[in-house]
Amino acid sequence: MADAATIAWTPRGSWAGILASGEFGTAGQPGVTIEARDGLGIASLIAGDGRDEALAQALQGHIGLGLPLTPCIVSSARHSLVWAGPDQWHLIAPDRNGFDELLRDLAPLAAISDQSDGRAALRLSGPKVRDTLAKGCMLDLHPSAFPVGTAALTSIAYMGVHLWRIADDPASGDAVFEIMVARSMAGSFWSWLSASAAEFGCKVTATGRG
Amino acid sequence: MRITCPHCGARDVQEFTYLGDANPQRPEGMATTEAAMHDYVYQRDNPAGRHRELWYHSAGCHAWLVVTRDTRTHAIETVETARARAQGDAA
Repeated sequence: MADAATIAWTPRGSWAGILASGEFGTAGQPGVTIEARDGLGIASLIAGDGRDEALAQALQGHIGLGLPLTPCIVSSARHSLVWAGPDQWHLIAPDRNGFDELLRDLAPLAAISDQSDGRAALRLSGPKVRDTLAKGCMLDLHPSAFPVGTAALTSIAYMGVHLWRIADDPASGDAVFEIMVARSMAGSFWSWLSASAAEFGCKVTATGRG
Repeated sequence: MRITCPHCGARDVQEFTYLGDANPQRPEGMATTEAAMHDYVYQRDNPAGRHRELWYHSAGCHAWLVVTRDTRTHAIETVETARARAQGDAA
């Protein structure tokens, strides 16, 4: 071949080209606030048969968190562990600093797969966040049924979603949810979410990454 | 119909995928007869009433479940994980 192909790989955030910072929908005070959660360290952990205990101890030592055995999320200042099915969890860090090293340390205890570039996550809040999610989510998200720290695997508009509730917004007291979808579904999920949130007025914060 | 997943709680049936009868046990392939293998692969009861079925929580936690259900009323008697059921069968 005469010409050697030159490929320039450019990192792109999972929401790049899909959503942009700004406001859309009904004007006025936004009912829904959406923040792109780009650049996270995300890994799936699957404990081998009977090795939950060893994995739990290692995680306690490394990041100070126990393994949630029911559908919920536990968080420290930096890390989160979220239940992702029986004997499965997602480890989430706000960035990739030290993430590879952490995964390497845990590798003997679980099947670990780095999902940082495979998932797309959003943080949703605002007074109308439940009304927005109710248009597609079959779960009861009322505070009595879905308290802070609850996690769920379900589907919205036929897309598999991993959904959990973190601590309420300290300023407004509104509930805050995080939703993670497969990155390949990010465009389709945004199509549903943006259409569902528009009537309440929506403010978007993208990271501008990629 | 709603199925109460032992892991996730009560969920709409559209989150689940139906496989079929949970009762047939696969014969030991090298030891069994052709007729027994044929029955295992093809023969199914179609009861009007109590039925043990395999369901997969495909849009949720991806667990295989054994659901005991009345096919006339859709009333669900029990839901167990297939793993617990298999361990129970072995015990």
